[in-house]
Amino acid sequence: MNNLAIQWLVLALCALGAVVRLPGVLQGRGRVVFTALVLLTVAVGLSLDAIYLAVDPVLGGVNVANLLLRGCLYAVFLLLGLRMAAAFDSRLASRLVAGPFGIAVLAVTVLATLYFFLASELQGSSTGLRGFDTQDTVLQYIVVGRLYPAYVAACLVVPGVHAALDRQARPLHRLASGFLAAGFTLVVANVALRLIAADLHQWDIILPFSAILLTVVGLCLIWASHLVNVRSRRRANKLA
Amino acid sequence: MAVTAKAFQLWRSRIAPQDTVSDVCRVAGIKRSTLAQQLVRGKVSVPTIVSIARGYGLPPVESLAVFEGFADVPAGVRTPTDAELVSQVSHIDILRLLVARSEDQECAGSDLQLNLAPFPHRNSVRAWIEAIDPGDLRQQLAARTGVARQNLSAQLTAGRLAPEIAVEAARIAGVSLASGLVVTGLLTPDEGGWPLDGRARALCAMPDLDLVFLARDRLDVLGKQIRRAELDDGKDRAMWENLG
Repeated sequence: MNNLAIQWLVLALCALGAVVRLPGVLQGRGRVVFTALVLLTVAVGLSLDAIYLAVDPVLGGVNVANLLLRGCLYAVFLLLGLRMAAAFDSRLASRLVAGPFGIAVLAVTVLATLYFFLASELQGSSTGLRGFDTQDTVLQYIVVGRLYPAYVAACLVVPGVHAALDRQARPLHRLASGFLAAGFTLVVANVALRLIAADLHQWDIILPFSAILLTVVGLCLIWASHLVNVRSRRRANKLA
Repeated sequence: MAVTAKAFQLWRSRIAPQDTVSDVCRVAGIKRSTLAQQLVRGKVSVPTIVSIARGYGLPPVESLAVFEGFADVPAGVRTPTDAELVSQVSHIDILRLLVARSEDQECAGSDLQLNLAPFPHRNSVRAWIEAIDPGDLRQQLAARTGVARQNLSAQLTAGRLAPEIAVEAARIAGVSLASGLVVTGLLTPDEGGWPLDGRARALCAMPDLDLVFLARDRLDVLGKQIRRAELDDGKDRAMWENLG
């Protein structure tokens, strides 16, 4: 399977993950994760040539779409980070994501992203800004863009693994936690590998998109488990 | 965890020489695919043997004796001890008797008047193991069956115990060898030689003090189970409410 197929597959999966949650959202359940999945779908869509090159010219052809992509990604990680820390019942992760330090990391990332974006010369649409990789500020912009996602993912790896190894938990939830933890680990690994400047070749695409794939599959498993539970709604009498 | 398919086929040809495997399944009321799968794997489960024996009107205990590991069971069937009998009374019935006694309304002590719930109850297996335990039953059981203690605990927590292990536990404790098969629900009390009103008699014979401590111990176990269940419920809810 080539990279393009993987990207479209991931896009379809994100959209599917969001769509299946729509009935629940209309009843007021799971709005945050739904929003995150919609934003994730937008972000994945904007990393595809076909979509990016259609959208960016409409927005002025100065790569504002890439800035939009970054914004979506930060929002996705903030929302999912908060929810997952709560789902895994990890106070430390909650504090690291929503506490002063987490907010500071987010603020620094957003400001730096804006600064480097404005400081760059970005005339003419180019997916992932690949056409401008000779500019120093563009390279800085790309590095900064990975900072916040990696930070949030790193906060969630340990609680995720912990939940996956919890022998008392439901097997389906352990599996889902395992997928989520694997997804976060890939996000961290992706950033770490780039920091040590390893040449990733085709893994450049496979690594981040696998991370998204694993995360969305994990979320879908929990959604399915919730749905089954709501349908059966067995309020077992614990005293019987 | 089961008898060999070879021994099973030999036994089957003896009890029903004319019948095919399909006939046997029909008579025993078990699914054909279940038995076929067990035969393919080379291991036939003990519940299957018991169902077939019942279907052909044979006493299950004697039928089991044909197979390795169960040969001494028929000779080892005795009347269950009072501790075993009481262990098979559910906590609700124990509390009901406690209330009845406190109101001076105790019955004469027959099963009919007490209306004891049928057993096995939800903690039957663990309660039975605790009732027959001479002190180191779990260690001995692990050593003699080769099943790890962790695995034994898991079985007890789930309210299960493999038939071989249940019989071995009875051998170690020196109680009726059929008791373990009765409390796991494999044999009916009648098939395992448990007297019909035995539980009610043993329960009513308990002095007040013992009854109160018995109730306390059972409530203690129940409390731990509920705490565990609520913890798990909380975890499930956290998952569903945040990510579902």
